[in-house]
Amino acid sequence: MDFKRIAKPALLAGAMVLGSAVSAFAFTACQVTDTGGIDDNGFNQTAWKGVTDAEAKFGVEGRFLESQAETDYAANINSLLASGDCGVIITVGFLMGDATKAAAEANPDQKFSIVDYAYDPTIPNVIGQVFATDQAAFLAGYLAAGMTKSGTVGTFGGINIPPVTVFMDGFAWGVDYYNKQKGTNVTVLGWDPAAKEGLFTNNFDSLDDGRTFAQNLYDEGADIVLPVAGPVGLGSAALADELGTDKLMIVGVDADQYLTNPEKNHVYLTSILKNMDATVMQVIDDAMNDHFMGGLTVGTLANNGVGLAPYHDMDSMVPADLKSEIETIKQQIIDGTITVGM
Amino acid sequence: MSEPAETPTEKLAHQLLQKAAPSRTVYEDLIIVPVFAIFVALVLGGLVMLATNVSIDTIGRSYIALLTGSVGSLGAISETLTAATPLVLAGLGVAMGFRAGFFNIGAEGQVLMGGMAAVIVGFSFGGLPIYIHLPMALLAGVLVGGLYAGIAGWLRAATGAHEVISTIMLNLISFRLVDYLLKVPFIQKAGRSDPISNAVLDSATLPRLLDWVDPNMRVHAGVFLMLFMVWFCYWLLFKTTIGFEFRASGENPDAARFAGMRSGLIVVLVMALAGALAGLAGANQVLGVLGRASPGFSAGIGFNAISVALLGRSHPVGVLIAGLLFGALEAGGRQMQVDAGVSLDLIGIVQSLIIAFIAAPLLVRAVFPWGFRGKAASRKE
Amino acid sequence: MDIELRGITKRFGEVVANSGVNLSIRAGEVLGLLGENGAGKSTMMNVLSGLYRPDEGEILIDGKPVQFNGPGDGIRAGIGMVHQHFMLVPVFTVAENVVLGVEPTGPLDSLDLKTARAQVREINETYGLEVDPDALIENLPVGIQQRVEIIKVLFRSADVLIFDEPTAVLTPQEVTDFFKIVRALREAGKALVFITHKLHEILEIADRINVLRAGQIVGECLPGEKTDLELAEMMVGRPVSLEVEKKPYEPGEVLLDVKDLTILREDDSLAVDDVSFSVRRHEVVGIAGVQGNGQSALVEALAGVHRIAGGTIAFEGKDITRASARARHQMGIAHIPEDRLKNGVVANFSIAENMVLNSYYDDRYSRGVMMDWNAVNERAAEYSAAFDVRTPSIFETVNHLSGGNQQKMVVAREMSRDTKLLIAAHPTRGLDVGSIEYIHSRLMDARDEGNAVLIVSSELDEVIALSDRILVMFKGKIVAQFGAGGRPADKNDIGLAMAGAAL
Repeated sequence: MDFKRIAKPALLAGAMVLGSAVSAFAFTACQVTDTGGIDDNGFNQTAWKGVTDAEAKFGVEGRFLESQAETDYAANINSLLASGDCGVIITVGFLMGDATKAAAEANPDQKFSIVDYAYDPTIPNVIGQVFATDQAAFLAGYLAAGMTKSGTVGTFGGINIPPVTVFMDGFAWGVDYYNKQKGTNVTVLGWDPAAKEGLFTNNFDSLDDGRTFAQNLYDEGADIVLPVAGPVGLGSAALADELGTDKLMIVGVDADQYLTNPEKNHVYLTSILKNMDATVMQVIDDAMNDHFMGGLTVGTLANNGVGLAPYHDMDSMVPADLKSEIETIKQQIIDGTITVGM
Repeated sequence: MSEPAETPTEKLAHQLLQKAAPSRTVYEDLIIVPVFAIFVALVLGGLVMLATNVSIDTIGRSYIALLTGSVGSLGAISETLTAATPLVLAGLGVAMGFRAGFFNIGAEGQVLMGGMAAVIVGFSFGGLPIYIHLPMALLAGVLVGGLYAGIAGWLRAATGAHEVISTIMLNLISFRLVDYLLKVPFIQKAGRSDPISNAVLDSATLPRLLDWVDPNMRVHAGVFLMLFMVWFCYWLLFKTTIGFEFRASGENPDAARFAGMRSGLIVVLVMALAGALAGLAGANQVLGVLGRASPGFSAGIGFNAISVALLGRSHPVGVLIAGLLFGALEAGGRQMQVDAGVSLDLIGIVQSLIIAFIAAPLLVRAVFPWGFRGKAASRKE
Repeated sequence: MDIELRGITKRFGEVVANSGVNLSIRAGEVLGLLGENGAGKSTMMNVLSGLYRPDEGEILIDGKPVQFNGPGDGIRAGIGMVHQHFMLVPVFTVAENVVLGVEPTGPLDSLDLKTARAQVREINETYGLEVDPDALIENLPVGIQQRVEIIKVLFRSADVLIFDEPTAVLTPQEVTDFFKIVRALREAGKALVFITHKLHEILEIADRINVLRAGQIVGECLPGEKTDLELAEMMVGRPVSLEVEKKPYEPGEVLLDVKDLTILREDDSLAVDDVSFSVRRHEVVGIAGVQGNGQSALVEALAGVHRIAGGTIAFEGKDITRASARARHQMGIAHIPEDRLKNGVVANFSIAENMVLNSYYDDRYSRGVMMDWNAVNERAAEYSAAFDVRTPSIFETVNHLSGGNQQKMVVAREMSRDTKLLIAAHPTRGLDVGSIEYIHSRLMDARDEGNAVLIVSSELDEVIALSDRILVMFKGKIVAQFGAGGRPADKNDIGLAMAGAAL
């Protein structure tokens, strides 16, 4: 197979020449979204914000491809590879783990980064961006336990994968911690961190499911619900808007949904921030300036990779004691006094 | 009766065997109308984009991307074929049903069930050589898809339950069944808590055809399966007694019954065949493209297959062409996103416009009355 | 109102349906338009009613040229068409059907059915139609449904009424009543056009006769001037025989033996009630009866496509009560179905494909699962030529053939093999003189070659002309037997028996 050996470098060289000729920018950052879409008010949108921030700050060009189904993952990555101008390709979502790995191994000269996936062992041309979301969710759980009137809070997820369940774990542990501290008996519906089982919509795009699942949790007594399923949670927010926040409040995820979902912003007690925008921008910066090193970045409370959003409209309703307790716990997590986990 | 009429009758019989030359309208329908249809659709799609504040420059770039992304390079053609293959296979199944007068809405479920069977065989039986393991996995997809659709056929034949309802219900069952199966420990990938299957072994993977040119080219040996099945369906429909029964039952079930054809057998056979082809489409996806199964891996192939079959006028060659068009629109649409940054929703509108206009030749003729010489006028010469 | 057609030419592609036709229609007169199927009668009337636009020629109403651009124009000019196939909504009442499309409205655009009913009654009285405005169409016999069509046209104030094959679906009694209505309309000064291929009807009702052949008027005459034979020759273009030539009756052994046969319809009502009869070799048995008295179910049960509730059918001494349609076909039972388009042919298939519709699996046409299309095509061409199926090619689809040629194709398929029993339901319905003559002679040939022949027809003349023995069916039972040494086959007596009178 002589041709094989000759053809490949030739084609790659051709693509590179073509790529540099076409692109007007010095650097292009490309992103492949998950099935929720670029405008999901949360997960994908936050990751894309990292690219737009980099556009504003570093003058790079950003480009994205939306996935409609899981079958699109590999095809979308391939399209970006074929265009030849991507300085870095950022894939957003745990489910793209296999497709990203395959593409990265087949194209060792292309820089990749994936949100929510940690390869073990690491791949030299991939940065995995993972988040200790349970730390922030712990705070949200403590807050929810302190705010509930019914003594019941609820949560549900999109798909039973670690980047989703880590929110639910932290939330449930936070509630437990509150119960231990205060001797109360607030229960969490929808997730059992010990058994790793709970409620899942099995998709990241059905707003109808978001509504139905929240309705079910409300019917079971929950007055605060944490939907961990990207845009699915917008359906839950719509339900809370109809019922009124005295009956149901929502805890947002990924972005500060008070800001990203302005029509229904009053239903959010707070949001568990997963600051992918910051890590994405950092990855772009590294890739531009040849600091790129395959491996892992981990977002924590300490490095502001994760956090709790402001209470906004709810600020007056959250007791000052509870606020200060949460601040204290946050410090204790950062300095290691409290370990989030089982 | 006794007069020596041998020669004139024989002569007449000989004349009757002459075929008429294809008329001009056939040529217009097959070539000119689709070309005009695409033109109209692109103009309308452009207007829609303009209305949503996309610049003319971007529209131009996006249409060039549509072309280059579908047929503009070897990689583009590879993507078009990869997307077209399952659509053609499942579309053939739906078309065979249409030919025999059955509305098989259940291709989606049959794709899922066939794909699941192929995955299970594909990750089990390690150590087998590819020439045994791969056919086994494909056959599993064919058999399970066929059996699954056969349920609807049997229900129709035995109880008269309408296949539209039963296939839709079988779709819903298959969605949840796949969710469940993907959590079964023997199928679920080790270490994962989400529903996802083990990976298909190399010995059951449809080999890629162009990865020696560029490792990113995904076109795989399923293309040959697709071409073989197009030929097979053509042969079956037009060259065999079973195909004759299918077609007669589809065109006029009463006349078929009066002619002594066994309608119960035909419905079971044709549904099983339709399911087998859809199952093969599912096997093709998991063994050739995805390498594993996850919820919703059918990605609407079974529903698009209905459009493919209708657009292809339920003719195997027509289905091939329609499937390639769908594949080209999918690959080209992706390129529209990459090169011009047009939103996925607008791309969907343009794709749908093209398909809608091709499916409505009368509409195209109405839009361009001067473009066609029409039936009455063209035959005067 | 008088109408004049001058030099009307209408083409469909290469086919010239009408060529330079001149025709005058006068108030207070019945114009009979005689022609074979495919002669261009319907095309001409569709030109007149505005459905088609002529390629050449002009239409004059009361001396003034007019142009019709659509079917609405014809009716607005006072030209109404009563189609062969009724266009009625079965679940609506008579009055609702009459006003459909031109509904009289009351306040707030509400449907004013009261006025409609009154108007229907008025038309009823004027022309002696006797139709209940509140009856549901689906409950009415065919003859009355036709009157509803007439009322529809009159309601739209038509002065010219065109009847396209109006008697094709009527019983002899209904035809008599229909003629009364036609005469009443003529007395009222309406201009009437009566399209048909039935000679005796046109001689009875028409005031003036035009004969159309191959798209052209080939003759005009008054009813007294020509005999039916002369008219038939004008219409067909060659000498024809209206009599069925029949060899002496010499029946052989019993071939088909039906005992105590009972058949239910889909709704479980009795279609055939405990019927017994037999048919012998060299014998034609005719079943007469007004449509809907169980003949259809009987024929279908004999052919193996209708479930049997009780009784037995024996063929050549073997019980075939449970045998499949294919098995019966293979035994030598041929079946010419009543409704050829619904049950006899696949309209979108070619002649060749239709020719083997029930024998494709035979060794002559297939090897294993593979069809042998060359053999099929050769046989189909041979049979089409032998049975006078007129078509440019056997690859033409059957829906492009005229009704007569479709029927000849079915007859060719059923008779071009070794048959023993021939079951023919309405074998000449809707056909022209030439085709009828041909099919009749073929049926007689089959009898003379030793076949048992069972004929069902609502054309009493046909049953009498063909049959050696006649059974009359009424309400699912055989109520009378004529011929073959028994009661002589008198048309009046048979007609009475068909109407249920005890003899």
